[in-house]
Amino acid sequence: MASRLWALLRKEVQQILRDRQLIKLLIIPPTLQLLIYGFALNPEVHNLKLGVVDYAQVAASRELVSALTANRIFLASSYPRSEQELARQVERGELTAGLVIPPNFSKRLATGDTARVQVFIDGVDANSAGIASGYIQQILRRFRPEAGVLPPTPPVRTQVRFLYNPGLTSSWFFVPGVIGLVLTLIATLVSAVTLVREKDSGTLEQLLMTPAGAWEILLAKILPLVVLLMGDVLLALLLGRLVFGVPIRGDPLLLLALSGLYLFVGIGVGIMLATVCRSQQQVMLTAFFITLPMVQTSGAIAPIESMPAFFQALSLLNPLRHYIAILRGLLLKGVGLEALWPHALALLVMAPLLMAISVSRFRSQLS
Amino acid sequence: MRRILAQCRKELLQFRRDRLTLGLAFLLPLLTLLIFGFAIRLETKVIPIVVQDFDRSPLSAAYTDRLFATDQFRPARWRGDDPVADAIDRGLAKAAVIIPPEFSRRLKAGQPVEVQVLVDGTDTNNARVIRNSIQGTTAFFLSEKELLKNPPPVQALTRLWFNPGRKESLYIVPGVYAVVLWIFPSLLAAIAMVKEKDKGTILQVYASGIRAPELLLGKALAYLLVGVSMAVVVMGLGGLIFQLGFAGDPTPLLVGTTLYLAAAVLFGLLLGVRSANQNAAVQGVSLVGFLSALLLSGFIYPLSNIPPPLSLVSALIPARYFIVISRDAFVRGTGWAGVWLDVLMILALAALLYLLTLRSLGSLQLADGGGGGP
Repeated sequence: MASRLWALLRKEVQQILRDRQLIKLLIIPPTLQLLIYGFALNPEVHNLKLGVVDYAQVAASRELVSALTANRIFLASSYPRSEQELARQVERGELTAGLVIPPNFSKRLATGDTARVQVFIDGVDANSAGIASGYIQQILRRFRPEAGVLPPTPPVRTQVRFLYNPGLTSSWFFVPGVIGLVLTLIATLVSAVTLVREKDSGTLEQLLMTPAGAWEILLAKILPLVVLLMGDVLLALLLGRLVFGVPIRGDPLLLLALSGLYLFVGIGVGIMLATVCRSQQQVMLTAFFITLPMVQTSGAIAPIESMPAFFQALSLLNPLRHYIAILRGLLLKGVGLEALWPHALALLVMAPLLMAISVSRFRSQLS
Repeated sequence: MRRILAQCRKELLQFRRDRLTLGLAFLLPLLTLLIFGFAIRLETKVIPIVVQDFDRSPLSAAYTDRLFATDQFRPARWRGDDPVADAIDRGLAKAAVIIPPEFSRRLKAGQPVEVQVLVDGTDTNNARVIRNSIQGTTAFFLSEKELLKNPPPVQALTRLWFNPGRKESLYIVPGVYAVVLWIFPSLLAAIAMVKEKDKGTILQVYASGIRAPELLLGKALAYLLVGVSMAVVVMGLGGLIFQLGFAGDPTPLLVGTTLYLAAAVLFGLLLGVRSANQNAAVQGVSLVGFLSALLLSGFIYPLSNIPPPLSLVSALIPARYFIVISRDAFVRGTGWAGVWLDVLMILALAALLYLLTLRSLGSLQLADGGGGGP
């Protein structure tokens, strides 16, 4: 029995090693994706193009502009003559924000009244608009027009400390997310396509004619895939470490063990797809359809807390959500099972369940 | 021309016969639209935080109430004494506000007080928003209790244009159109091309004497029609569900959508031709294409954040131009004056894709067909 499984395993490994395309698929897209998204995705709001209509034209108004542009959140990119011109530029998307300083600006400041300036923000990107308007309020709270006069210390100072990622490096947020995303896509697609191809060409039926049991055949197919995909996990962790400096603060062995567990979930989903679909084309379509919402409701890109309650509850059934929580916990937070046990438990339930259902479906379809 | 139409008709007939694919082709984009439109919210509201109040005075209670008075924060349920280990480490809360003892006594005596704020930095975007809004709320609390000695001399009256209520669906849904109308038409076209090659029917096509451009245009036209009907369904239902009407002149959207769909179909055909029977190649490239349409197109995060070498990559992604057109048509409403360049860019990219596909189709014909070519 053991030697039969061993023989099957050897056959599968040889078959995989001969499949250059598969090896390439396992190495190139994950590397590219990790690099591109690690570098390109940046939710920070900066360099927003600001148009300034300065009707006052005094030292204080110029100081206000430089206070707004000092930390590169805004970039004073044009000085239109009138509000109408400013409006046109915002409409064409040439500017994201506009500032109008009224003529009575310096007079009101001199008399000690509150001077009011108008700020327009392009609200199409609702999220960035909200953040930008928060920044403007914050800058104006601290702004004092007389040069050299420091703002008075407020009676309550908030001392903010960012835990786990003190520099707020955005790649540290995205790299764990992208690792989870890439593993899900690859594990699901590779296992689904492999099995559908064998179903199509009838090679599985041939294997079933041999004395080997159906479980052995599938196990021999799954195990080498898990090993290969573990290689992907290591590749991704290495890239994250070397290129982006993402730390591994938790227990590396626990990380590998839970990643292995998650791979079984991904492969289980893939086999399930293979039982539903009749052709490779259908597998690809449905695989995209399954993985898209999995990625979207996982917290990899958009935070889970901001989703509507219904989707938040639904996301508890999403294995990727738990895996990403585990990744962030073990890489950045440096916590262990004492904090991550609910997520680990969820995977521990999902992996065997998915495997059992999909494998038994697959077996009944074959015989 | 007649042969192009004949090829197109044959293609549509084949497409209609495959019931499952036909169903998936219309169902999947719609479901994707619904999930994206309802589930993606970038703006964080009701963030769970914990407040540890060592003062327990009426003033510190008022401060706590002020923090929870907006819809920005909600109190997290937690047990224990250490806010980091018991709440933030476990992911129960995203931030902890620690009010020191003697908070109210010192405030009343005019001495400065330091409130410690610990923020979970794993989600970098959220972390900044949390910091800003805790600081903003604190400032509001101070001015409300008249504890500020000299209020700030300059105030801003902020107005949001185009989207005064900051409805995020106005931002997300036009972007979803771009993602959906890229992925599914190109996937269908790629699948059709690969299928033809897998079954060897492409040799018969060559033998029939149809020329490569005619074959390509016929196939492209067929899937363009499929794409257009997909666009009508998706945009129509999307408009009804998310209450999105035209904000201005709809003609740039009409022209832009047609060109964009053509580019998507040609991209799919190119993948199909280039993959030379290797499904793995299709998957590899479509993975990259799919994720780039999703993430490098400005669909979620502003394009201006992409650093220089990669911003060149994003310049080659048609989805980024279509998102501009779609957001303009449904939200901004400036019309041709604002988006003519984006329409032109999609046209250029579609032409480029056509030439690339034609070239690979030609070399394929020589390699496979031997004497069967034109």
